[in-house]
Amino acid sequence: MTNEADSSALHKIDLMIMGAGPAGARAALRAKASGLRVVLVDENNDAGGQVWRPLPDGFSRLSGVASSAEARDGDALRLELRKAGVVCLFGHKVWNIGSDLRTDVISPEGSVSWLPSALLVATGTTERVIPFTGWTAPGVMGLAAATILLKSQNMLPGRSTLVAGNGPLLLAVANGILKAGGQVAAVIDLASRTDWMLTLPALKARPDLLWQGLRWQANLRLAGVPVLYRHGIDSVVSTPQGFDAHVKPVDSSGAPLSGAARVFSVDCVTVGHGLVPGTDVTRLLRARHRYAAESGGWIAESDEMGRTSVKGLYVAGDGAGVAGAAAAGAHGELAALACANDLGRISTEHYSRERTALLSQRRKPALFGRAMAGLMALREGAVAAIKPETIVCRCEDVTRAEIDAAVHEGARDLNQLKAWTRCGMGPCQGRTCSDVAGALLAIHVGSREDVGCFTGRAPLRPVSLAEVAGQYTYADIPIPKAAPL
Amino acid sequence: MTNSSSGSKMSMRVDKAVHRGQALQFTVDDQAVAAFAGESVAAALFAAGQRELRESPRDSSPRGMFCMMGSCQECLVWVGLRQVPACQIPVTEGLAVQTLTFRRQHLD
Amino acid sequence: MTASAKALESGKDYDTLVIGGGVMGCSTALHLARAGMQVALVDRGALCREASGVNAGTLTLHMTRASLVPYAMRAWQMWMDAENWLGMDVLAKQAPGLTLAFTQDECELLTLRANARREQGAPIEIISPERARQIEPGLHPGLLMAGYCEIDGYASAYLTGRAMTHALRNAGVDIFENSAVESIDSGDCGHIANFDGKQAPLRGRRIVLAGGVWIENMLAMLGVQIPIKVLINQLIITERIRPVMRSVLSVANGLLSLKQFANGTVLIGGGWQGDGNRDQGGIESRPQNLVGNMRLAAYAVPALAEARVARVWLGLEAETADAMPIIGDVPGVANAYVVGSAHSGYTSGPFMGRIMAQHILCQPTDLPIFNPARLLGMPMPVA
Repeated sequence: MTNEADSSALHKIDLMIMGAGPAGARAALRAKASGLRVVLVDENNDAGGQVWRPLPDGFSRLSGVASSAEARDGDALRLELRKAGVVCLFGHKVWNIGSDLRTDVISPEGSVSWLPSALLVATGTTERVIPFTGWTAPGVMGLAAATILLKSQNMLPGRSTLVAGNGPLLLAVANGILKAGGQVAAVIDLASRTDWMLTLPALKARPDLLWQGLRWQANLRLAGVPVLYRHGIDSVVSTPQGFDAHVKPVDSSGAPLSGAARVFSVDCVTVGHGLVPGTDVTRLLRARHRYAAESGGWIAESDEMGRTSVKGLYVAGDGAGVAGAAAAGAHGELAALACANDLGRISTEHYSRERTALLSQRRKPALFGRAMAGLMALREGAVAAIKPETIVCRCEDVTRAEIDAAVHEGARDLNQLKAWTRCGMGPCQGRTCSDVAGALLAIHVGSREDVGCFTGRAPLRPVSLAEVAGQYTYADIPIPKAAPL
Repeated sequence: MTNSSSGSKMSMRVDKAVHRGQALQFTVDDQAVAAFAGESVAAALFAAGQRELRESPRDSSPRGMFCMMGSCQECLVWVGLRQVPACQIPVTEGLAVQTLTFRRQHLD
Repeated sequence: MTASAKALESGKDYDTLVIGGGVMGCSTALHLARAGMQVALVDRGALCREASGVNAGTLTLHMTRASLVPYAMRAWQMWMDAENWLGMDVLAKQAPGLTLAFTQDECELLTLRANARREQGAPIEIISPERARQIEPGLHPGLLMAGYCEIDGYASAYLTGRAMTHALRNAGVDIFENSAVESIDSGDCGHIANFDGKQAPLRGRRIVLAGGVWIENMLAMLGVQIPIKVLINQLIITERIRPVMRSVLSVANGLLSLKQFANGTVLIGGGWQGDGNRDQGGIESRPQNLVGNMRLAAYAVPALAEARVARVWLGLEAETADAMPIIGDVPGVANAYVVGSAHSGYTSGPFMGRIMAQHILCQPTDLPIFNPARLLGMPMPVA
């Protein structure tokens, strides 16, 4: 399905990698080393993804100040990419991909198309936030957003911040705020101490991270930060000073228990209920998907090396199923190795040897990562507790009540729910709401599989008509045959 | 639209570990805002105490930055002739940003 | 088991089975039920989720085939009255319709097409660019001529399913969704529709095939070969933007449809083709057609250039060999009917369903129907 008119403008390469986080960047390095013509593309200004987020252009690290392990790892990866001479398209937006893997990219100069023989999707995850009353107020943000403010923009999210949700990011963000000189009003965790204890065996696979976690807990104790396990946000009320966050005890499913709420007066609330693999690209390309709650939600079906049901399409990293940053790197290399093999560019012996080594390399980090993913899994009681008047689809102001009404009338899958309520029709195209909306539907319909996913369509990110159309005159418009009279 | 809490506008910035880009000024709805080169418009505004950036489409409830990574489309502002997420725009000297409300009020 | 033997099984005997729950099938079922028939409406998915739910919702005479203008005009009225006869509206709104010409060739084409439609009763006027800009200030300055029609407008197609579901339930139609017909046994007593999956066979004295692009498959189940071409139509929707237009726009060559809804989103259509097929649906857009469609839209209304596209999708539209509807008796099969393949089928859908029902009820039809037998042996034109 090549486009003859524009084929001269198509850049032909072996492998296009979307996402320059740990998985994508390591994949690019291995692909280049294997002799593949590879291009690495990322919307961000440099490599590192979310976990090793780069500093903004023009910022630099102060010498003489000890940087965190993350900063060091991220800087090392970025340096390695530059040294290896990997072709990187930073600040570029992929907006469409054809079934032949033709990849359309918006750059500052306009839309450019690449034609790779293979495509590796390493675009990571989005953050799940289970709606609560007041969650749409400015000043309420995701844990990932707070992380970006702290680590990349080097700003505090607030003077006194409530950190809430579930998963390991809670501790990371709370400590980040303390380290930056801010106050943490409390850490509100849906998980129990026992939930955390149960991850200990897996945590032993990464003693460095286990040690870090313990230090973080100690920091919070020293700073007098209350940590409320088995608690969740019931509502956030805006006040002249910021917010009053009402917090209630919950059961193991995340459902609120009866009892008085504790109120924390803060000027910022940062909340996150886990990570959801991004399947925009794999859905667009009609790969087969399966629902895997322990991996964060829907994921493309893939083998251990990242091959999907679509020939030439590979996935790696958290986007293929949450397993953590360390496992992501090895996963990316496995996918690059698979690609090199599938393109016939390496010997069977090399493939076999490297495959064994990388699978072994990935095993322990993946154990740790999956344990963390377990802590981040969606808690159905928290979803069921969403109040009727609470917004579920932020883009279109669709409430829980409207979703329930549609289900009551007979809406049975996510796409039908969309047609009946506009949930998922806004500019984010369901990235923010689809996991929660799917969980809400499943309460009535029975299973996430029956509820399905939103149909994947272009564009992958909103693009203006001008960005796609470029410069043209009326005569440039390729008018096909006129409609019948 | 500003709803800053008390305290200096620059105090949300943490300079312990980094050297920021060049100090500069950009405008939002014709009002000057101090920032540093490379910061995103969303972050710079957040630090300046301006968190509300627009209104939601049906309920007209206040909205602002939420995900900081260009996914949620909540922090939409106008730069020149284009509507873009503020978290995806690095500030530059003299950059003119308009909120949607301001733009609607000032267009014929 | 023979058809008559199967008929001995217990279960409801319907007066009519309608296979296909798009706007034509739904309208047919609704009119039959309101006339007193026991009707079963069947769809392999949910109602109005194929062409009827994903089209541009344009209710225009400019783009309707000239000879179908009288049908479209009556259907237009039905859409505007939707709240009354349907009970729930699909946000159908009247808006002035302008068809635009930017080159001399297009001016000639525009005049030709406007005349043909005027002859059929469409109140289309040729107007100057100045007058066009009074109606629609945001038009491209290079406009040479426009066709104007006040009987124009749009609906939100995606709302159709919910509205139809309500009306059909209230009319006592039994709706069988997520039930794919696998085969049809036809005999003297009527028809039996057999399903794959859990749904038990349904019996009806009459059967109506209203399956859009799948009419070809359905006719084949009755042993009738009539090819139906599948058009893969591209649609583009923007995010909500400030008001930039108030009319429904098209271009003389028929290749643009453009409207801005009350919620601020702008829907761009025009029948630019994507890739897909009957079995897999619309798979993907063709790059040059995506660019072309966007360029044409941004040319017609320059303010659209900076609008951001939220989504591009594809809908399947049916077309017969002579590009005219197929509405009437299935050739050679007793008590079997077929309705579909009207260009701009969404626009005229409610009315086509009405005349199909009238025909089935042995009443005179408000306007002539379109004998399917004419299509037997008619070759599909080469693209």
